[in-house]
Amino acid sequence: MGKEHIRIVDTDIHERVQYKDILKYLDEPFKHYIQNCHWVQEKHMPYTQPTVAGVDRADAKIPDGKPAGTDLAFMQKQLLDDIGHEFGILTSALDPSPSSMHGWYEMATALASAYNNWQIEEWLERDERLYGSVHIAAQDRDAAVKEINRVGSHPKMVQVLLPIDDIMWGDPFYHPIFEAAEKHNLMIGMHHNEPPVYYGKWPRYFIEWHTLISTAHMKQVTNMIFNGVFDKFPNLGLMMIEGGFTWVPHIMWKMDQQYRDLRHEVPWLKRKPSDIFKEQIRVTTQPAEELTKQEFMSLIEQMGTDEILCFSTDYPHWDYDSPTRALPNLDLELKKKIFAENAKSFYPKLPNSKEF
Amino acid sequence: MKEQVVCKTTELEPGEMKAAHFGKQDVLICRTLDGEFYAFLNQCTHQGAPLDKGMICGATTEDSTPGDYHYCRKGEIIRCPWHGREFDIKDEGRMLANPNKRLASFKVRVENEDVIVYK
Repeated sequence: MGKEHIRIVDTDIHERVQYKDILKYLDEPFKHYIQNCHWVQEKHMPYTQPTVAGVDRADAKIPDGKPAGTDLAFMQKQLLDDIGHEFGILTSALDPSPSSMHGWYEMATALASAYNNWQIEEWLERDERLYGSVHIAAQDRDAAVKEINRVGSHPKMVQVLLPIDDIMWGDPFYHPIFEAAEKHNLMIGMHHNEPPVYYGKWPRYFIEWHTLISTAHMKQVTNMIFNGVFDKFPNLGLMMIEGGFTWVPHIMWKMDQQYRDLRHEVPWLKRKPSDIFKEQIRVTTQPAEELTKQEFMSLIEQMGTDEILCFSTDYPHWDYDSPTRALPNLDLELKKKIFAENAKSFYPKLPNSKEF
Repeated sequence: MKEQVVCKTTELEPGEMKAAHFGKQDVLICRTLDGEFYAFLNQCTHQGAPLDKGMICGATTEDSTPGDYHYCRKGEIIRCPWHGREFDIKDEGRMLANPNKRLASFKVRVENEDVIVYK
């Protein structure tokens, strides 16, 4: 793939904050709890991620020793300039962030606000290519709605990153969040977090957890569709991030089949589940399995549309997908769609986007 | 025959690796714990990551059984800096999970203190 010919909209880039860098954006007493009381975020994962540099690409560590993803200049050099990104959408590194916090809702809410301010000032306003995600601590729903209303109108915020937790996303609990997102032309971003729904437990090995990330996504999207979220919020879109994409035809077929048999249980559904999927849901490509062109094209055919997939790198994480190597060599028109046009059509706030 | 001095033996301790150039190609020079030198194309077969940014380490072997890890081959395995794929330095750069895949390799000899890569 010639770098100069294909524009890239990268739908999953992880910037990362360190505690010392976020303090100035944090209100008291929360700043005090971190600075003087040794508070650190609870950690969930029982594994050492069995890669060379933990969660990161080993070559993405900042030369001065700071963790990968903490330095805009280095990210520009290694990712945005090198590959020639047109746009990149920031999805954070989840720590410290409310995304995997339980308990102490006040701290999670304060962190979300601080994170959003840090993201806007240090990233979104310093590189015109970068767009952002509104972080919320959804366990305190009303505070989350306030936060969406506070920063959601920022011109470079394109989605709300809703943490996966133990309330399914179709539940009316979340509807005020969807309503606020819709009001600000924000899409909903679904990114796996730790842990995804797994019957309350971790599997024994990291390889199992990482293999099955998509199952959490499948459960959530099925729940949202059958609970009528996409009919109630017709302008809402869902971007499913970092769960891969080879499961998409399966869940579309399965939901359609079930709908034919069991429609009487969910009479509020006015469209076939696969049509809802095609119209309001998009899926990022990473982590891509190694497919031949024939296998890849077969999947597109099974999805019934080439407008669902949106390319993502997941930079700077260890399972990064290279824009030139991760997908098979596709025909030019399809390449343009997957690498840029599909994402531009999806996010109303990305420049050149078409009406959804 | 094309050949080139890529580094001095003193530049690499046993168990270390470094990037070098062989003509226009980026190569990876590895030194195993027994002091031997090896050279491969410095590019992962999967998505092209620069292997010198990864690590030389050991491997959990197929002698392991569930609940009982067997770890050896210290200093003989290259791990990719991105996806962690493992390549066996002493087995022609073959990938542990799929020995049909291997890193492109170069011949190496040492003369005096010069490490020489040749085809």
